[in-house]
Amino acid sequence: MEAKYDFVKKYREQVLQCSRCGFCQAVCPVYGATLRPSYNARGKMLILKEVMEGKIPLNDELIDTLFQCTTCASCQINCPSGVNVPDIIKQVRKDMVHIGSCHPAFKGMNEVLEKNTNIYAEDEVPDFRREKNKKAEYVFFIGCVGAYREDESTEATLDLLDRIGVKYTLVDEVCCSGVLEDVGYQLNERLAKKNIALILATGAKTVVTGCPYCSRTFNNKPQYQELKDKGVKVIHISQLLKNFDLGVKTTKKVTYHDPCDLGRHCNIYEEPRETIQKIAPSFVELPHNRVDALCCGAGGGVRGAFPKNSLAMARRRLQEAEEVGAEVVLTECNSCVHNLTNAKLRKQKFRICSTTQFINELMEAKEG
Amino acid sequence: MEIEGYNMPDELYYDENHFWIKEEGDVLLMGMDDFAQKMAGEIVYVQLPEEGKELSLGKKFAKIESGKWLGKAFAPVNGELAAVNEELETNPGLINQDCYGKGWMYKIKPNDKGEINKLIHGPEAIKNWVLADIEKYKK
Repeated sequence: MEAKYDFVKKYREQVLQCSRCGFCQAVCPVYGATLRPSYNARGKMLILKEVMEGKIPLNDELIDTLFQCTTCASCQINCPSGVNVPDIIKQVRKDMVHIGSCHPAFKGMNEVLEKNTNIYAEDEVPDFRREKNKKAEYVFFIGCVGAYREDESTEATLDLLDRIGVKYTLVDEVCCSGVLEDVGYQLNERLAKKNIALILATGAKTVVTGCPYCSRTFNNKPQYQELKDKGVKVIHISQLLKNFDLGVKTTKKVTYHDPCDLGRHCNIYEEPRETIQKIAPSFVELPHNRVDALCCGAGGGVRGAFPKNSLAMARRRLQEAEEVGAEVVLTECNSCVHNLTNAKLRKQKFRICSTTQFINELMEAKEG
Repeated sequence: MEIEGYNMPDELYYDENHFWIKEEGDVLLMGMDDFAQKMAGEIVYVQLPEEGKELSLGKKFAKIESGKWLGKAFAPVNGELAAVNEELETNPGLINQDCYGKGWMYKIKPNDKGEINKLIHGPEAIKNWVLADIEKYKK
């Protein structure tokens, strides 16, 4: 009998491979914040098995469970049975959208990107007071969160790039739209083509992104293959910065939060640390770091669709910063900066910011 | 008073950005009005700056977010931030539940209390302003 859903065709064996050991539960940020077994990978696999066996339908009643996952991949990394939970969940979401069952926030996101240039439907493009679309060695691609929610961080990043002499241009960028693939939809080809055309027109051979998610999208999605075909390399800013001798130091106790999109998804753990350890001799690791880092709660569309739980996950992460006595929490993802900053309690006196913003401030202070 | 489904108490002063202001002894109490909280949707984050922060009339001093919207709180008068509603730190939804009561946001110590007279006040002024904004946001 023909499988009813694509997730069954592609991932039936993997769903059945789940041995229900619960290793995933121990590391799942959504479970950690809610203690709801159905929100964790094991719970999701049990539900999908019931769907596969025709015992329960895929419908609106499963939206909360199946759309509430940051796709942080902690479960996948820790699964002794090799179940690729994030990929299964992304396919299930596509199946649900196909049958008309989707979280309204994600449906809204898809509709927004059909008509707008960014996920927030903002009409006013932020002005970072720099020329755009010129010929340059590098393109700096900001990303929606950096442009519309963490503009201070982006301004500081651009100031830093200017200070260290990177010859870059901004472009009239639009959303990379990679997030749509995570929430049941397809990457927006119109937006992808626009970004590609803008980047190629600059003649730049390297795109530096402020957002690890954009960097993943450009590097991994077939819609952006043309960049590779034309010899354009895409890197995250942390990979660029490690090559510079910044000449500044801080005495503050600094820690680093590994963004899921940079860490577990791209295996970039050491480059950010190389930079931070040059400037912060009092660097301390968070208890869960590198591949074991706790998710900030923003990913997979969760911040938009389930903000309370998203912020609860961020608060769990910040407790670790408190435990190690950090004065500054640095990270390399504006989405993490945004969610962690929103979640920080007033009694928590540490500061959260992007590494680039912090370094820029040190350089500004040194210049007097 | 109710204006096309929006509760806009006519004894309050209003900033054009849809914040209400009320005198409370020596300080001014400030919050989001019903029109704003309905347009914003569920509030998920309210920035609560430190007490003592200097406020300049018309200048942004805090951010507010719902799932779909990033808003700014602008100082309605010159003064100093005297207090914040700390309940909003973990329960920002109070603004949606009770925007004129438990959902109050900030207390301001004004340099010159008379500055509130520049704000929108009185039933007719409030009604005209809200009706105009209802039309504006329909588009």
